[in-house]
Amino acid sequence: MLPTATLRAQVESSLGEVLSSTLLLREKTAPLTISTGVVALDALTGGLPRGALSEITGTASSGRTGVMLAALAGTTRRDESCALVDASDSFDPTSAAAAGVDLDRLLWVRCSEGDRSSLHKNQRRTALGRLEQVLKVTDLLLQGGGFGMVVLDLGGIPVASARRVPLTSWFRFRRAVEPTATVLLVIEREPCAKTCASLVIRLQRTAVCARDAAPMTETEFHGWKVLKRAEPTIPPTNIVSHAALLRGMQLRAEVERSWTERKPMHSVGARFELRAAW
Amino acid sequence: MFACVNIPDFPVAAIVRAEPLLREHAVAVLNGKPPQVRVFALNDKARLLGMEIGMTKLQAAIFEIPEEEGAVAKKIDPKKKSSSIELSKHPVKKQCKPTAAILRQRSPAQEESSHAALLDVAHAFTPRVEDTRPGRLLLDLAGLERLYGPEAAMARELASRVSTVGLECNIGVAANPDAAMHAACGFSGITVIPAGEETKRLGVLPINVLLDSFDIARGKPKTAVAAREREKLQVRMLDTLERWGVRDFRTLALLPEHALAARLGEAGALLQRLSQGTCVRTLALCEPCVHFEEALELESAVETLEPLSFLLNRLLEQLCARLEARALAVQELKLRLQLEPRAADEQAATLQEVAAAQNAVLLPDRREGNLYARTLRLPVAMRDPRVLLKLLRLDLAGHRPGAPVCKLWITAEQARPRSAQRGLFLPVTPETERLEVTLARITGVVGERRAGIAKLLDTHRSDAFQMERFVLQEEPGNRNRGLTLSDPPDVALVALRVFRPSHPICVQMAEGRPCKLAMLTPDAERNELEGKILWAAGPWHSSGDWWAEQSASKSNSEKSQVWDREEWDIALANDGDSSVVLYRIYRDTGTGQWFADASYD
Repeated sequence: MLPTATLRAQVESSLGEVLSSTLLLREKTAPLTISTGVVALDALTGGLPRGALSEITGTASSGRTGVMLAALAGTTRRDESCALVDASDSFDPTSAAAAGVDLDRLLWVRCSEGDRSSLHKNQRRTALGRLEQVLKVTDLLLQGGGFGMVVLDLGGIPVASARRVPLTSWFRFRRAVEPTATVLLVIEREPCAKTCASLVIRLQRTAVCARDAAPMTETEFHGWKVLKRAEPTIPPTNIVSHAALLRGMQLRAEVERSWTERKPMHSVGARFELRAAW
Repeated sequence: MFACVNIPDFPVAAIVRAEPLLREHAVAVLNGKPPQVRVFALNDKARLLGMEIGMTKLQAAIFEIPEEEGAVAKKIDPKKKSSSIELSKHPVKKQCKPTAAILRQRSPAQEESSHAALLDVAHAFTPRVEDTRPGRLLLDLAGLERLYGPEAAMARELASRVSTVGLECNIGVAANPDAAMHAACGFSGITVIPAGEETKRLGVLPINVLLDSFDIARGKPKTAVAAREREKLQVRMLDTLERWGVRDFRTLALLPEHALAARLGEAGALLQRLSQGTCVRTLALCEPCVHFEEALELESAVETLEPLSFLLNRLLEQLCARLEARALAVQELKLRLQLEPRAADEQAATLQEVAAAQNAVLLPDRREGNLYARTLRLPVAMRDPRVLLKLLRLDLAGHRPGAPVCKLWITAEQARPRSAQRGLFLPVTPETERLEVTLARITGVVGERRAGIAKLLDTHRSDAFQMERFVLQEEPGNRNRGLTLSDPPDVALVALRVFRPSHPICVQMAEGRPCKLAMLTPDAERNELEGKILWAAGPWHSSGDWWAEQSASKSNSEKSQVWDREEWDIALANDGDSSVVLYRIYRDTGTGQWFADASYD
């Protein structure tokens, strides 16, 4: 019986021309990270890893989009180009500009079913559904390379639809992004990428800060409460273009999966606040 | 020293340049309108078959390859795919009969493109160029020795550059322009005549080679009458010399000068000086061409995109070779397709509809059919024909012409290529050419104006922005650079998720405040927009563009921009999953209709 080392050497020499380092385990090094744009989240997670898939999950009004914009703002501030694949065409450029995103460095791809009546009949036949568009566009962006961050915003589509994304697509995205310095960030309601995700953060809203004008204060309802905060009645800036009655939200973040440890031994969380732009 | 670049049988060479596979075959070019169609130009192989210039089309058709036997016709048929083109390459040589020729209609557009390409090569070689006639140029080589070496090396370099634009040339190098031209017209390949040996080396050439240079040396005739007089004079002199037994340069050069001048006058003396290679003149220099256009006329119309892309590839390669010769790049690419006239008449209305839907330009032309135009504006100058072909293909895939194509032109707007390299320590950005192809593909997936950057408009109207093309920002931003985890970022802000379009909703009021909300139209994806309103703040009244409403010249689009609404921020408790979501809703004060505008997230 041949010793294991000899057997391994033989296999490696025979496959050496086809596959290099056949039986060698690749050493997993700590990935480079970039800031999420929120100090508390950076302290909790160590930042968003480059060359990996990260997920930010949460229900509607849980602050996912605010964190996404903060991450985009930080990336564009470093003069890196970013791409946003918007599955529900719900991105608000005004909010993004207020959050500090350099819109000139953000490629916004608006996927939607759209009005197919304007298409040529040949195009209408081959027109893709929204989810197919998202997957195809993400593939193209990751293959093209060069973006500092690619964001898939699936937060506006139902969980059932998001779960229809096959696991092979998530594997493909992870493999495509691995050798690059791109951060692939997915915003969604429930985690979908399973083991393909290096980092999964769940966000929950704990409180809402409203102006004194609000009729209900210190009201508890399903774990949600309105805090009273003394604020000037007239907004201090001129960027107000709507009601400007909401002042901010208090959030709690929880790490469900992290590249730093294979399985979190206990639930770790952080509290932070998103403020309104006005 | 001077060099003359001469393309023998130029009309044939222009056709062969567009269809390189014809290079190995006998080709005859026909010209004229039926029934007066005659052979206008031939290549050497066609001459060997016995074809002559001036033959009628019927006479020439005797030498033509029958359709069913000629693999050549199949080979160059633009309808065939690449695999068939490649596969038929080798058998064609075997099947080509010595008695077979290919007939092609003369193409002035292709001749013009070929001559422009030749001019580009010459101007890239030296700025002193004389545009003698189509397919023939004279170059002043003075001072170029340090760049290219001796005359023979210069001629080889020139021939090599001409071959890159798809033309085969004869080159003559001599101490004076006319001797160089005689060498290029009389001998094939490269001929270098040392100074003082002109008479000896040119002596074997036939006397009719002189006619062109004689015409040039005499100057351009001012009127048509003068031109006819000169033609008569040339014919008369040739007849006289023929009767004297003077058939080559050497015989003419040896005639006594005074006696010749006494019999043929000043023209005779000039003719003798030309034959001796001693006539000296200055070049009439021409300006470099600034118009880059390649054209291709098809024998049979192309109906699908696949074969059309092969033709586009050929034109783009030629165009890029010309631009490369001039160290230029493409900033804007215009593609014009002439659609088949028959189809154009039948489908004119459909084509107009298609063109309008696709934002393309359709120029109706009763006589020649419709012209379908597409313009490709590139954010950065580029010169890679493969990238340009991909972009054109993707554009045409989304904007089909709708009828068979029988002629195509590609025009390039020239620009200086990018010369600066990005810094080593700058963040990685997408490769420009690759990004353009990626963006074109994404546009093909999501549609026009659905991918790009959002430019905010200077208004307080909600969701006011316009989509613009995504262009890589070369310049670093003014924001703080090198943000790390240790740097405190700005405070994160609450963001909006906008509903496009706004969802019409039904709102129940109590004490002047919304208390309950329901969807007007059932929507599976928005089923959470129903329930009890826990908290509401408002109303915030906003309006704008009302001044445009009062304008007498208001249009429908202007009217749709007018807004007047009362906004509320609400917290909605969904009955289904007991979640609480923050929304922004508004009531259109004009119609009284409620809409859900966005959610806070």
